[in-house]
Amino acid sequence: MSVVKVQSVSKWFPRRDGESLHVLQNIDLDVPEKAIVAIVGASGCGKSTLLNIIAGLVTPDRGCVFLNGVKASAFEDWRSLTYMFQEDRLLPWRTATQNVAFGLEAAGVARPERRERVTETLALVGLSGFADAYPHELSGGMRSRVALARSLVTRPQILLMDEPFSKLDPSIRTQMHDEVLRIKELMGMTIVFVTHDVEEAVVLADKVVVLNPRPGRVRETQEIRLPYPRDPLSPDVAEQARLLRRSL
Amino acid sequence: MSAVPVSPAAPVDDGRPKPVPGAARDRRLKLAALRLALLVALLAIWQVASLGAPPFVLPSPMRVWEAWTTLVASPTFWKDLGVTFERIVTGFALAAIFGVVVGLVLGASKTLGEFFEPVLTLITTVSSAIWAIFALIWFGLSNWTTIFVVFMTAMPLILTTVWQGTRTVNADFVELARTFRMSQAQVLTKIYLPTILPLFFSSARLAFGFGARVSLVAETLGASSGVGVRLKQAADLLQTDQVFAWTLTLVALMLALEALVLKPLEARLFRWKKQAEAS
Ligand SMILES: Nc1ncnc2c1ncn2[C@@H]1O[C@H](COP(=O)(O)OP(=O)(O)OP(=O)(O)O)[C@@H](O)[C@H]1O
Ligand SMILES: [Mg+2]
Repeated sequence: MSVVKVQSVSKWFPRRDGESLHVLQNIDLDVPEKAIVAIVGASGCGKSTLLNIIAGLVTPDRGCVFLNGVKASAFEDWRSLTYMFQEDRLLPWRTATQNVAFGLEAAGVARPERRERVTETLALVGLSGFADAYPHELSGGMRSRVALARSLVTRPQILLMDEPFSKLDPSIRTQMHDEVLRIKELMGMTIVFVTHDVEEAVVLADKVVVLNPRPGRVRETQEIRLPYPRDPLSPDVAEQARLLRRSL
Repeated sequence: MSAVPVSPAAPVDDGRPKPVPGAARDRRLKLAALRLALLVALLAIWQVASLGAPPFVLPSPMRVWEAWTTLVASPTFWKDLGVTFERIVTGFALAAIFGVVVGLVLGASKTLGEFFEPVLTLITTVSSAIWAIFALIWFGLSNWTTIFVVFMTAMPLILTTVWQGTRTVNADFVELARTFRMSQAQVLTKIYLPTILPLFFSSARLAFGFGARVSLVAETLGASSGVGVRLKQAADLLQTDQVFAWTLTLVALMLALEALVLKPLEARLFRWKKQAEAS
């Protein structure tokens, strides 16, 4: 059964000149359980909007979204879904520990258990030594790890990631990919990963969906059947990326 | 000339930790010495000036010191001080609570905000002295006269700041809270409050200062005890040294409040802020 199913979703945004901007057109998307599906597309083609629609932050004008087979409007278990945004959105007045705890506070987890799970999750992303650092004291890579930990601490079943590593330099980004794959193996969640980087999509995903811009629509869907771990410099990855890039 | 070591023109990074704490202490010591010198200079000027004027115009430092020691020993000193302090704190606390709650509500609702904006302008334009007269009419000679004046002076300042502050709240953070399905109350306490806290703190400090100053005026008009009343009595009897003694007491108290309460509290609350590199 698909964990996330997007069915002929269309979206228009009102523009200031009274016209409306057609952002998404008839999007269909199927994310099987424990899969990683990557969505690639040029800047402005509606990738973030699509994730916002899946997360229930934006309502589609046409079509609908099913989560675990339940229509989004009737879905109850929203806390089993987390969203890692394009910006890290760390609260500057909270330490790394407190930022990670943010997700658990909403869920009403008791303090002792909260502390335990935060410590555990910080260790999982390799940040134990920086538990009490404020965001401005952390490097970009560390901030990404805190944001990742915040999305993992609630032990989500579905993880939405919107270009989470696009601002990191290549070597650290490769590190983060390994982390994501390792943690996914460990926790067994389903991931929808948005990026404009085709190589990143090929390294991570079971399935890559290419969007075309204005209005955003699905150009093609490509299964990636290479074994993990995938070396970003290997010829197989390069070949897959070349094929995908053709349709971009 | 000074004991401060001269640093080499091009400091070499020898891999040892940077000796910041020592340098900071040197700076602080130097500042303290400068301030002490300033104090001595002011006292000297005061002393010289008082030689050429009768004591009821400008009493000498020595005379003020004597007046102050007798004042502190007098039975009503602590009572007057306590009563005034209590009125200021009550008025200020009410203003802070009202200002934060109403400021948040007005910030959260655009319609309410637009509706009440003129009322706020009205309250701010009325002078504290006029509030004191109204208070006297409404509350007579009671604690509430002073409390009311402090409230009316401090509240608009705090309310306006909190209200403006709600506009600086980062919509991305609110959206983040929404993805975790936080309640409206949680969004207010976990996103809104921390965002406006620095603004609230600086406005509250100002509001407390204004409140403390106008409280004395209110007391001279509408109270039978308190520092304001004693100041007025001393002035009526031309006991200028008493006036000076009270003034110095108040200044000292304000400085102590700043150094012992506000500065440490501020440092603790805003530890998370990135410090701009001081030059
Ligand atoms: N709330 C909004 N109101 C109006 N227009 C919007 C809104 N959000 C997005 N848009 C527009 O919709 C289009 C798609 O935006 P979106 O952020 O989904 O693109 P994206 O594919 O994520 O781009 P990028 O790779 O640069 O992040 C853009 O043209 C954008 O200007
Ligand atoms: Mg985007």
